[in-house]
Amino acid sequence: MGQATDNTPLIRIEHAGRVFRMGEVEVAAVADADLSIAPGELIVVLGPSGSGKSTLLNLIGAMDRPTSGRVLYGNLDLTAQSEPALTDFRRRKLGFIFQFYNLVPTLTARENVQVASELVRGALDPLEALGLVGLADRAEHFPAQLSGGEQQRVAIARALAKKPELLLADEPTGALDLEMAREVLGLIQRLNRERGLTTLIITHNPAIARIASRIIRIVSGHIAESRVNDQPIAAHDVSW
Amino acid sequence: MLARKTRRDLRRNAGILLGVVAIIAVGAGSMVALGTAQRILEASQQAYYRDYRFADFWVDLKKAPLTVVDQIARLPGVARVEGRVVYDVILDLPDVDQPLIGRLMSAPQTHFRDTINGVCLVRGSGFSADRTNEVILSDTFARAHDLQPGDRIALILNRKRESFVIVGTAISPEYVYMVRGDGDLAPDPEHFGILYIRADYARDVLNFQDACNQIVGRIVPGEEPRLEALLDRIERLCAPYGVFAARPRARQASHRFLSDEIRSLGVTAVVMPAIFLGVAALVLNVLMGRVTQRQRTVIGTLKALGYSNRQVLRHFLLFGLWVGLAGGVAGGVIGLLLASGMMSIYRTFFQFPRYVTHVYPDLLLFGVAVSATFAVLGALKGAWRVLELQPAEAMRPQPPERGGAIYLERVRGLWQRLSFRSHMALRATMRHPGRTATGVIAMALSAAMIYLTLVFYDSTYYLLDYQFDAVARSDADIGMRDDASRAALREAERLPGVDAAEPVLGVACHLRHGWRERRVVVTGLAADHRLTIPRNADLTPVVIPPEGLVLTRKLAELLGVGPGDELTFTPVRGRRETRRVRVAATVDSFLGLTCYADERYLSGLVGEALAMNGVQLAVNPAKRTALFRAVKELPNAQGFSMQQDARHGIEKTLTQSMAASLGITILFAAVIAFGSMLNNSLIEIGDRLREISTMRVLGYASREVAGIFLRQNVIIAAAGLALSFPLGYVLARIVAHAYDTELFRMPLVFRPWTALTTAGLALSFVLVAQVLVYRAVARTDWLEGLKVKE
Repeated sequence: MGQATDNTPLIRIEHAGRVFRMGEVEVAAVADADLSIAPGELIVVLGPSGSGKSTLLNLIGAMDRPTSGRVLYGNLDLTAQSEPALTDFRRRKLGFIFQFYNLVPTLTARENVQVASELVRGALDPLEALGLVGLADRAEHFPAQLSGGEQQRVAIARALAKKPELLLADEPTGALDLEMAREVLGLIQRLNRERGLTTLIITHNPAIARIASRIIRIVSGHIAESRVNDQPIAAHDVSW
Repeated sequence: MLARKTRRDLRRNAGILLGVVAIIAVGAGSMVALGTAQRILEASQQAYYRDYRFADFWVDLKKAPLTVVDQIARLPGVARVEGRVVYDVILDLPDVDQPLIGRLMSAPQTHFRDTINGVCLVRGSGFSADRTNEVILSDTFARAHDLQPGDRIALILNRKRESFVIVGTAISPEYVYMVRGDGDLAPDPEHFGILYIRADYARDVLNFQDACNQIVGRIVPGEEPRLEALLDRIERLCAPYGVFAARPRARQASHRFLSDEIRSLGVTAVVMPAIFLGVAALVLNVLMGRVTQRQRTVIGTLKALGYSNRQVLRHFLLFGLWVGLAGGVAGGVIGLLLASGMMSIYRTFFQFPRYVTHVYPDLLLFGVAVSATFAVLGALKGAWRVLELQPAEAMRPQPPERGGAIYLERVRGLWQRLSFRSHMALRATMRHPGRTATGVIAMALSAAMIYLTLVFYDSTYYLLDYQFDAVARSDADIGMRDDASRAALREAERLPGVDAAEPVLGVACHLRHGWRERRVVVTGLAADHRLTIPRNADLTPVVIPPEGLVLTRKLAELLGVGPGDELTFTPVRGRRETRRVRVAATVDSFLGLTCYADERYLSGLVGEALAMNGVQLAVNPAKRTALFRAVKELPNAQGFSMQQDARHGIEKTLTQSMAASLGITILFAAVIAFGSMLNNSLIEIGDRLREISTMRVLGYASREVAGIFLRQNVIIAAAGLALSFPLGYVLARIVAHAYDTELFRMPLVFRPWTALTTAGLALSFVLVAQVLVYRAVARTDWLEGLKVKE
């Protein structure tokens, strides 16, 4: 596995494109994208639905391969890796947060975190990870017994448990009300600042972009803008 | 429009449906196969019995004048009677060392096809007008020894060696199943053959001028219920001539084997399909419940658009109907193939002039109809559930699954030691009790089927070991035509290769206790007997006391007596004096109704000092050939058998059919287990797409995710397996009880090895299914799975 050091970007996307074939029609979800992400950044990718931001996230997250161009993690060319190698890569380097949390309904909060912690050596103890998101006391609850915000925090604990180098979040607040969204974003922001956890959030909600250190706007599969945000606001000031 | 939806739903679920269709196909297939085989055998039997005038009764006598035959013919209810000569001899085939047993039967020189038990010529021409020493051989015996019409065969008749020309080979309705008599388990065509010789010649050479020693007869149709009473009259009429046995058709060995087979085919033809179609209905029930659940939005929309409940219901029932039809039609094809396979095995057992082979369209249609009915029943419940929904409610997606603790979690110590993957598997198992129960039932039936077949396999071999190694410990047995003195024993001891010889006295007799009565042969054994050791089922030897009889438990049960009771004994020989005898002990036995006594005591009962009519030998294997040569020259010998040859003959016949039935059982059991497991797993995979996708994103390999489903299947299989053993045990007891007859009892042997093999096979089904589960998991489009909205 390639190691990212301070002077090399963690992620580099070089002329990456992803074309989907839908029957007879070809649709370019992402076209000729160039992007590099430095360690410690908190990036928000903004775009309306269908703009290709999820595809971009999938490319970075080694869940999909570009049909053209390359995706590099440090010096490792993800495009050239085998399927088992990509699985291993996700296992060691990445943490994921989903819009609908994707917790296993038949496992308790602690066990849901354990799903991730069992994957890697030196992972956080599930209870410790739940402690980080302030849910140590609800460890034995099942997802159905938790609020949406709590479920998402369990999902974050699950992502943290593996001690990932990169946290990918797909509309992490999409299913939450403002109060819970602030809570979750605050948690993400704190982890980014205190632990230097490189984070990439994709969302269609411009309000969220203001907490980022860099904002990337994506329109119809093209990266339309990449702007450094000198004065990110605190998550609890987010409103919509 | 909805028809098109049915078609597409079917296509989309093709993978899952394959399991159900396979189970239905096996169910319908077994119904068609067993039903077809049963009908063919029954039709062949009836045609044969009719065309060749199969007898309704047999009376074995010492020697009766032919005038008695005319007397019997005049009895009311008797349609036709014939007297004939039947005489067992030792055969000498030039290329065969061992003396073989031939049963001479007298037959008219012409029109032997038209007698009772008509002789059906297979090859050759039949007797010529001028020559007397001609023989028609039973076809299986001729084939076993590669004898052709024109070849010669030698036998010893009345102390004279006679050479016969084979003029044909034949079969007969008396020997559809070629066994010598009641004690035989399976045909042994290498060592036993029928030889038809001209009646005039037979009477002449065997001293039966105007006499016979067997009377066979047919009764007027409709007289069957009065046959036993008629036989009593005939027996009284023949009493002066020494009746050894009087048998109605129902107790004739070949007929009994054939009829038992037809009857058991009929039972299996109901039980097997019922099991398979029942499981298919359960599996389909689970599947349809899921399909309708997943389509509730569509159903709600259809209802909102104005489709009636009936239309929606019909739509989902059609789904089941198509599945049933597909299974039924596939089953028809499988059934016909299987039936032809079964018939080719039956051909080696049962000799008919022709097999009335048929494709029975009504059976095929019935198979399809029953399959469709079961499938529609299976689909009913799932479809019904949707109808109860109001359109608005149905259109709303189902609320997400609730997680919750299960009972097992209260056992904290155990629960905490399990991995979260086991937690997932266990909770999923408990969360869908219906689904799990279906899986457990299917596995229990599947494993019980295998277990049952293996138990019978073991039991058969146990029976052979018991009979041939534990009880009958002699190497060779010689049967004598007439009673002999101790001189004959000393003669036998001097035969080449004989290490030891023991006398045997067989006495045919009537045993009576109150109104209960049985005709049996009492075997008298020498005081220091070692070559026959009566034993109980657990192999403990039973001592023959100097006085009294040792009865087979079954015989004691039939006569209603126990040790210490008295019964009356009337021998069918000598002065036939009725004596009161005491039951000294009982002993287990699996074949026939055996009865033992001390030789001296038994001789006394028939009014003789010390008689014998058989001798058992321990033989030095190196000198077998010399012994064989000597036995062929023994004038008084009418029977000879080598225990191990007899055993091998039986094994050869039984092993072939048992291996076939074991193979088919395992295949069928695999279909049930496999089909249901695959169905459950694929439904689970469909239901838990998000979980699978999430785990894949987190970095779990397909193999690891599939491992959760493996755990789930192992839990279900283990539960099913645990049930299968008691189930198999009970079924084995039921079947053994059904087979518990005067002719035969099944020893039941339950070995740990059998249970282990069953478990191993069941586990292998799980593992094979796992390959497909793994492929299904690996093929899951998990990016798509993540997008699923709640």
